[in-house]
Amino acid sequence: MRTGCSGAPHDDAGVVRLLVTEVRRFMKSIDSSALDREARLPKDVLDRAASLGLFALAIPADHGGLGLSLDTACRVVDAIATVDRSLAITIGLHAGLGTRGLIELGRASLRDTWLPRMARGACIGAFAATETGAGSDLAAMRTVLRKTADGLVLDGEKAFVTNGGFAGLFTVLASSPSLGAERGHTLVCVPADAPGVSIGREEQKLGIRASSTVTVRFDGVHVPEDHLLGEPGRGMQHAQGILAWGRTIMAAGCVGTARAALSATIAHVTSRRQSGRAIGAFGATREHVVSMAARLLAMDALTHDAAGRDCTTIEGVALTAKVFCSEGAFAICDRAVQLHGALGFLEPIGIARMLRDCRVTRIFEGANDVLLVRLGASRVASREPFARGVASECRTVASRLDSAADFLRSRYGVTAVRRQTMLQGIARAEVAVAAAQATLSGPSASREPSLASFAVEELLAHAERHLDAIAFAEEREERVASLSDRLYGSMPARTPSGHVAVSP
Amino acid sequence: MITSEPSTRARVFAAIAEITEREPSGVSGSARLREDLGMDSLGSLELLSTISEELRVDLEMEDAIEIVTVDDACAFVERHLSEGERHAHRV
Repeated sequence: MRTGCSGAPHDDAGVVRLLVTEVRRFMKSIDSSALDREARLPKDVLDRAASLGLFALAIPADHGGLGLSLDTACRVVDAIATVDRSLAITIGLHAGLGTRGLIELGRASLRDTWLPRMARGACIGAFAATETGAGSDLAAMRTVLRKTADGLVLDGEKAFVTNGGFAGLFTVLASSPSLGAERGHTLVCVPADAPGVSIGREEQKLGIRASSTVTVRFDGVHVPEDHLLGEPGRGMQHAQGILAWGRTIMAAGCVGTARAALSATIAHVTSRRQSGRAIGAFGATREHVVSMAARLLAMDALTHDAAGRDCTTIEGVALTAKVFCSEGAFAICDRAVQLHGALGFLEPIGIARMLRDCRVTRIFEGANDVLLVRLGASRVASREPFARGVASECRTVASRLDSAADFLRSRYGVTAVRRQTMLQGIARAEVAVAAAQATLSGPSASREPSLASFAVEELLAHAERHLDAIAFAEEREERVASLSDRLYGSMPARTPSGHVAVSP
Repeated sequence: MITSEPSTRARVFAAIAEITEREPSGVSGSARLREDLGMDSLGSLELLSTISEELRVDLEMEDAIEIVTVDDACAFVERHLSEGERHAHRV
C-alpha cells in the first residue's frame, strides 16, 4: 500500500520516542570533527546507521521499511543534525528525494526490486536534477531521455548530486521531447551500475564535507520502460511533490543544527565570565540568545506544520519552511559564532563547522532567492486572499500583505512578475506570517507560551518591515538597476531567456 | 487592424521563440505555454510579461492567467492593439 504525502498518518508516540533515543545514543559515538576533516562517511558509520533502520524510515513496511510518517522522519533527521549535518543530509536525502519518487510513482515491480534493498541501506538513493548550465533554469536542461528503436536512452550530465558517490539508485529528471509534451520532462530511475553511468570525483566543499557530492554522467544509458516514474512528460510536476518532502526534511536538519548551536551558546555564555559576571548576564548577550531561541522555536513549529500536511497543501508550506529554516539556521549559527568570540572562529569548538554546514541549505533544493520570487509571484497571481484563514493575531499583517499584492497587480499588471525585489518582499512577509501562524498553533505555544509570544511578535514586526519597504521599492529598484548597469559596464537589454524558471 | 495582424502575430511568435530558445517556425499556435513549452506558472507569466513590454500592451494579471496557448496570447494582443487604435481614432 502506498502512503500519502506525509507518509503514515500517525506514528506510535512510544515507538518514536524510543527511536529518537536510540538515534541520540548512536550519534554520541560520532566524531563530527573527524568526519569533517576526513571529508567522508566511513562504511562502519553507514552500516551502523543502516542497522538502526535509519535508511528505512519512511519506506513502507510492506517493502521492508519502518513506514514512518514524514513528521517522524523529520524528528530523526533533526536528532542526527544536532551532532552531524553530513550524516543528516545523507539520511535525509535518502528518505526524501532519494526514495520518495520511487515510493509514490514507481511501478510495483520497480518498488519490489529496489525498496527492500534501500530500506536495509544496501542501496542508497540519490536525486539528479541540477546541471551546471541549468541551476534554476530548467528550460536549459540538457540531459535528455529519448525514445529510440532500442527503447529509452538517457544522455547527459548532472552536477551536485548529493549521495552520488555511494548511491545505488538515481532518480533522474531529464528533458524528454519524444515522451509526452514537446518540452516536457520525465523522472526515471537509473541504477548506478547500469552501463553508461559514470561517477565523477567528490567535490571539495565549504561545508557538509563528509557527505558525498559528485557529478554523474549518463552516456547512452538504456532505461527499461518500467523504470519511468509517474507520467512521461510530467516530470517537473512530479518533482515538485518529491521536493516538498526533501525541503521539509532539510528544514528539520536546519532545526537540528540550530538547536545544537543554541545549546552550545547557552553553555558558553553561562560559563564564560567577564568583569566578574557570566557574559550571558549582559543585555546584549541576552538579546542574541533570546532571538536565537525564539527563531528556533518558530523554525521547529513551521517544520512540524509542513511535515503534517497532506499532498494538497504540503508544497507551499514546505517551500516556506525550507526558506525560513535555512535562513534561520544560518543566522542562529552566525550569532553563535559571535557569542563564542574568537573561540567561535576556531574549528575544534565546532560552531564554525555548524555555520559552514548550514550555508548550503540556502542554495540547494531551490535557491532561496528564486524560491522567494516564485512565492511572491504566486501570491500576486493568486485570487485567494492570504488573510483568509489566518489566525486573528496575524490578520492585520496578512491583510496588509494582500493589499501589497493588490498594489503590484494593479500597478504593473503581468509585468509585476519582473519586480523581483518587491515580490521577494511580499514573500518574506508571507514566510514570516506563516512561521508566526505555525508558532501560534504549534505545541510550543502551550509548552513555552512566553517565548512563543515573543517569537510571534518578532515575526510579525519582521513582516511589517518588508511590507513597509514596498512603498519605496520602485524608486529603489530603479536606482539599483542604474547602479548595477554602471558596475557591469554594458548589459544586454535583457537576458537571452528573459524568464525566471525555477528548479529543484 | 487586418494589416497589423500578421506583424503582431509574428512579433508574439518571435518573442516566444526567443524566450524558449527555438526558431519562430518551431512555435506552434496551438502550443500550450505550460504543458507544451515546458514552462511552469511563473515562467509563462514571465513570457507574457515580455510580450506585454515588447508590444507595449498592458496585460492585466487576471487576463494573463486566462491565456493558455500561443494563439490565445496572439489573439489577446491583437484585440488589445485594435481596441487601442479604435480608441485613438475616436480621440
